[in-house]
Amino acid sequence: MSGLRVGGVELRSPVLAASGTFGYGTEVPLCDRPRLGGMVSKGIFLQPRPGTPPPRIVETPSGMLNAIGLQGPGVEALIRDYCPLWAEWDFPVLVNINGESVDEYAELAARLDGVPGVSGLEINISCPNVREGGMFFGKDPAQAAAVTAAVRRSTRLPVWVKLTPAVSDLAEVARACESAGADALCAINTLVGMSFDLGTGRPRLAFGTGGLSGPAIRPIAVHLAHQAAQSVAIPVIGIGGIGGAEDALEFLYAGCQAVQIGTATFIDPNAIGKTMEALEALDWRRLVEGTRAAISSG
Amino acid sequence: MFELQAPLIARREVASGMWVLSFSAPEVAATARAGQFVNLLLRPGPLLRRPFSVYRATSGVVEVLLKPVGAGTAGLAALALGESVSLLGPLGSGFQLDQAAGSVALVSGGLGVAPMPLAARAAAALGLQVHWVHGARTAAELCSEWEGRRVHWATDDGSIGYHGSVLAAIPEGIGQVVACGPNRMLAALAARFPRAQVAIETYMGCGTGVCLGCAVPRTSGVYDRACKEGPVYQANDIRWDVLPQHLHYGLGA
Repeated sequence: MSGLRVGGVELRSPVLAASGTFGYGTEVPLCDRPRLGGMVSKGIFLQPRPGTPPPRIVETPSGMLNAIGLQGPGVEALIRDYCPLWAEWDFPVLVNINGESVDEYAELAARLDGVPGVSGLEINISCPNVREGGMFFGKDPAQAAAVTAAVRRSTRLPVWVKLTPAVSDLAEVARACESAGADALCAINTLVGMSFDLGTGRPRLAFGTGGLSGPAIRPIAVHLAHQAAQSVAIPVIGIGGIGGAEDALEFLYAGCQAVQIGTATFIDPNAIGKTMEALEALDWRRLVEGTRAAISSG
Repeated sequence: MFELQAPLIARREVASGMWVLSFSAPEVAATARAGQFVNLLLRPGPLLRRPFSVYRATSGVVEVLLKPVGAGTAGLAALALGESVSLLGPLGSGFQLDQAAGSVALVSGGLGVAPMPLAARAAAALGLQVHWVHGARTAAELCSEWEGRRVHWATDDGSIGYHGSVLAAIPEGIGQVVACGPNRMLAALAARFPRAQVAIETYMGCGTGVCLGCAVPRTSGVYDRACKEGPVYQANDIRWDVLPQHLHYGLGA
């Protein structure tokens, strides 16, 4: 089942758990783990963060808005409490890293370098739910490249960059990250959204805005993942509203080497297992390679 | 934790617009404790699951209490007998009943009665004297089912029982208070019974502890998860001024 190397990481299957939807890998007992390609842990900062006040989530048509605010214990607690567990696991764990400055990203990368249990880093320059940093770096090609280069210099680990859809030209940001040394790109993070409570006339999320995820964003995600894959030579990992094998196949046909499943895990704790099982039944490798060959020769 | 395809086997109206749905879910029925909940997924239906306290759990059947307020609850209430939902549970912490307390008041407002039948049976099994204290806006909205012999009702309009807040109907000299209802009611209860066990209400994403959507503000300064550490808390552990008091459920599919 292995032999799938994407962006410097040996994956067990092409279906990974997306950051923020699988905790630290200890919280989803019903997931069929042998089918899990790998996981990206909940976004971490150097310091502990309390997160945003509730309400933090709201359901929307075919989707949900979230504003969790990257609640987390900070990198030292992550290294102490979770990395030793991950070192024993038979699938790779990437850490989603966040900072309010380029230096903070670099410091996090340096701190995680060589820590047993960490197979790679996913740079989050696309979180819409923090006041400082986050999406700010992902909106500007020069800033995105600066963060990527700083992380690249600070670690020997594979470096993936998670892109925001909130840009006018994703290809430009994708190429900037590639030039700065990224090993792979993840497309896309959530889209910024808002919803008002009809009873109070106020935003339904305490933070005001939130990140939209779920099936509602899938066509946008497929388009942007395709655009990224067309723009760079490094692998692209597709994310956005994947709920099953057919959705995953769309991203693979769009040129992605792997996919991440997020919101679907909230609904079905074994969404990843079921997706991978169905991909196997479809003989996904042959299907994708055959289609690519047919397209390039046609 | 189990995820089962659970067929609806019975439905009954226990108050005006308030229904008990009975699902066949043997593994969950055998393991659910008072104060725990199940997360139900309706297909076709809204994207996310809907959490419900376990109302009763006996002989392979899990019962939940609901009032149709949005697309999710309306869809569940309209299920035909024999149709199935995906039932995930049991989830969350349960009530911690104190045997040494001697007596317990199970205080509920409206739909907050949901976890109380199971709590009453657990309390009785421990030998506690059980007081069933239940309030609603009107007699018609009062749950018509109760447990035990010591029953105290309250209605806002005085149509039955004590005229006024259910909190005023709590008898004196009770060893332990267990409560569930609107967060506004629980906040008021917390001022009088800071050590009461309360089952709170929040928006919830996954129910399994990964999404961090059901954040509960603790007096210790941290947020934790209603679905994992909760939904039962000691009343004075919660920052009631930060916990949303108004939950809007009118959601689209």
